[in-house]
Amino acid sequence: MATEPATTEFTLDTAQLLAEEEHGRSIVGRSPWYLAWRRLRRNKVALTAFALFVLVVAVSAAAPLYADHVAHTTASANHPTENVKVGSKIVPVISQGGTYTDPKTHELRVKPVNIIGPTWWHAGGKFVLGADENGRDNAVRLLYGGRNSLIVGVGSAFLCTLFAVILALIAGYYGGVADWVITRFFDLIWAFPVILLAIALGAALSINGLHWNLRLFHVNLESGSLWIPTIVISYVLIPYIGRPLRGQILSLREKEFVEAAVAQGAGPLRIMFGEILPNIASSALVFFTLVVANNILLEAALSFLGAGIQDPNPSWGKLISEGQDRILTAPWLTITPGIAIVVTVVALNIFGDGLRDALDPRAKVRIEH
Amino acid sequence: MTPKHKRTWLLSALALVVGFALLAAACGSSKKSSSGTTSSTGTSGGTSQQKTFANFRVVYDTGTDYLDPGLSYTVEGWEAMWNVYLSLLGYKHVNGPDGATLVPALATDMPQVSSDGLTYKLTLRKSLKYSDGSAVKATDFQYAIERDYKVDSPGVGFFSNIVGADQFSKTKKGHISGITANDSTGAITIKLLKPQGDFQNILATIFAAPVPQGTPAKDQSTTPIPSTGPYLIQSYKPNRQFVLARNPQFKALPNVQAGNPDKITVSIVEDDAAALQQVINGQGDYDFHPIPVDRLANVQQKYGSQLKVYTPANTYYFFMNAREKPFDNVKVRQAINYAIDRNALVRLYGGLATPTENVLPPTYPQYKKLNLYPHDMAKAKALLKGTGATSVPITIWGSNRETSKKPVAYLQDVMTQLGFKAKLKIIDAAVYWTTIGNQKTKAQIGFADWFQDYPHPLDWFDVLLNGERITPTHNNNYSNFNDTAVNKKIDDLKKQPTLSDQVNTQWADVDRMVMQQAAWAPYVNRQFTDFFSSRIDTSCYVNHVLYQFDFSRICVK
Repeated sequence: MATEPATTEFTLDTAQLLAEEEHGRSIVGRSPWYLAWRRLRRNKVALTAFALFVLVVAVSAAAPLYADHVAHTTASANHPTENVKVGSKIVPVISQGGTYTDPKTHELRVKPVNIIGPTWWHAGGKFVLGADENGRDNAVRLLYGGRNSLIVGVGSAFLCTLFAVILALIAGYYGGVADWVITRFFDLIWAFPVILLAIALGAALSINGLHWNLRLFHVNLESGSLWIPTIVISYVLIPYIGRPLRGQILSLREKEFVEAAVAQGAGPLRIMFGEILPNIASSALVFFTLVVANNILLEAALSFLGAGIQDPNPSWGKLISEGQDRILTAPWLTITPGIAIVVTVVALNIFGDGLRDALDPRAKVRIEH
Repeated sequence: MTPKHKRTWLLSALALVVGFALLAAACGSSKKSSSGTTSSTGTSGGTSQQKTFANFRVVYDTGTDYLDPGLSYTVEGWEAMWNVYLSLLGYKHVNGPDGATLVPALATDMPQVSSDGLTYKLTLRKSLKYSDGSAVKATDFQYAIERDYKVDSPGVGFFSNIVGADQFSKTKKGHISGITANDSTGAITIKLLKPQGDFQNILATIFAAPVPQGTPAKDQSTTPIPSTGPYLIQSYKPNRQFVLARNPQFKALPNVQAGNPDKITVSIVEDDAAALQQVINGQGDYDFHPIPVDRLANVQQKYGSQLKVYTPANTYYFFMNAREKPFDNVKVRQAINYAIDRNALVRLYGGLATPTENVLPPTYPQYKKLNLYPHDMAKAKALLKGTGATSVPITIWGSNRETSKKPVAYLQDVMTQLGFKAKLKIIDAAVYWTTIGNQKTKAQIGFADWFQDYPHPLDWFDVLLNGERITPTHNNNYSNFNDTAVNKKIDDLKKQPTLSDQVNTQWADVDRMVMQQAAWAPYVNRQFTDFFSSRIDTSCYVNHVLYQFDFSRICVK
């Protein structure tokens, strides 16, 4: 009895499936990218996850619009002495506290301040998620935090993948001394636990920034720059992508199509980028999606520990760190960025797995450290 | 003087009402029974009965810099070592303003000061011993001061007026010629270059505490120096724990009594909330940390009798470097003073603060409330008009402690509203003061605070605002404020041997002169909390004007 392919099957194309999709027409040659897309679009879970990620990106990207037109503030504007109309009540963002002498005990007592909690939509969009201890709008900071976390996550993943691919191509294609030097460089980074190395670099660079003023090469990044966590995170993860790609390239360079290209007189650059790169592109793309999720988590960890994004820029990890002192009385300060991180990372991981299955169902691409 | 690391909550008098109330409570406690032995110690001030108990468990923060009397310059270090290393002079161990009274400690009497104010004569008590059993000698005082110079102590600036100190600081060889000591008689003579009204206070600092000759001229925190006080440092694991135990050689002195706890175990915990929870759970007896803002109401309601609120002598301010653009223009400095809303900053500190425009804290008798810069953004913008100040890129400096991060974030917002392009530079608290105190840093504006080293206006104006004391490194005058008239006034008042009403009025004038020039943008005087576990009898609580909570006087129910 013929077995019907399961609707969730998105790995190997069966002849029956291909014929059905071609609507009875003769089967024509399709590019690997087309085939991958066809497999991916059958994976509804992965597509839903991707849609969720796109939604997170869109909402975060809209932070300035929300801040300007809804909350009427900025991510760093302090409103400690302002009052907000919540429903019919006028509520101070941070109430006037102070100390007084207890008439009975004659001891100094505290009249603690009260910081506004979530107003939801009862204050015209202001302080939807309440305020922090500086009287800043938490919802605005959450959106801007998402923007920064995504910029650092995606930016560092891009840089990391780019450098890893280039180094892997050089090491894998040339071999010999070049391979030895590059693999030792990978080993050097690999020798340190990712988080510890990132904390050390992040903490050092967050004090003085990064300043390289060589004759032809000038880098001047101030301590608060988003480039610093981006560079640190991309640097510490290079071997985790570069090393498996190098392995693939070592195998690919022995293939016939490479020999054919050499025989035709193709130069090293042409072979590396014209022949080998397309064959590792699918792996690199999968690595990229998985690394984005990983980097968002790493950025959150670094910012939580004070070695990532610096004041006054918010990030999800930083918001969790700032909210932890008030976790008993204002848990939403930590829960909301926590949920945002979980949703984004899970969505990216599911999508990344789906992409991996679509691009190369037999590949085992994992980020492990 | 080199920078005082600013968790130095060295206290002050304020809280007259609270002080007297607590003093009364402390005195009353002597009649209560304790879980330990009760014996009379015959000391002056505060509790006259010793109520011993086994172990007092302190939950400290990470501010302990050193446990070496020549090096420590934080309130955590001084609070711990106050009862370990005694100086020739000291302060009464009592609550309230009376705690600022100087008393002889290792010296037999207060110093005899010559009529020209240049010579101080003291005599060391006889038969004093260090905790290792060796004798305390008069020349140990001289050795301690010279060791301060050799270890690059942050306290050497206090002794620069001693004859020969300047020369010794350069060569670090021989002796400071202005200090002579006779071990057989215990006589100590100190000669000064100029009269100095606060010199007796300086003799009472921990930097002047005698240490055994031969103590290495390097940090001895983890190999504790033998002590002269009621406690010795038994062990120290930096950033984890230190233990104080009774000094077996200590015999009660007229102004220093034996403490109540047999042992004081100090655990170092970074997180405020975790520290509070440890004390609530009974895993600790005393929480040094401030209570987190959102827990204050609950803690006060549930554990009101275990919570103490106090006001040390402190001023929190933004420094504005007069050597750097745009703060070389007095109008810009005044604009910042008008632009900051001090009531907003009080709220940032959870209400545990009082707004101020003065350099001196209100606990000082010289304090005269200033009201020069009411919050007025329009006036601030008007002052900036035509100065070109807003075109200068600004870097606002702050440390990574919450007490600094909140106000600098506020300042950045205010400066942005004024039209500046201001960015933050937050660096680790461990290097913050040395970084902004280095002229090469060229720090334009940023967070600063000051807690007194001793209760005297000179500790504020001479140390922080005398232009003649600006140094290339370890500079305390972060604003590089250098006004000839102010310098002259400080120098004149420095010669005054006592703080009479007339002198106090003149110090108030200096406060006004400095603030008219907007040397700083002061914003609050902060209040702090001490929290105890339920087994502690808070009627024994002593909060000293200088050293804050006195571990040695606490007792259990």
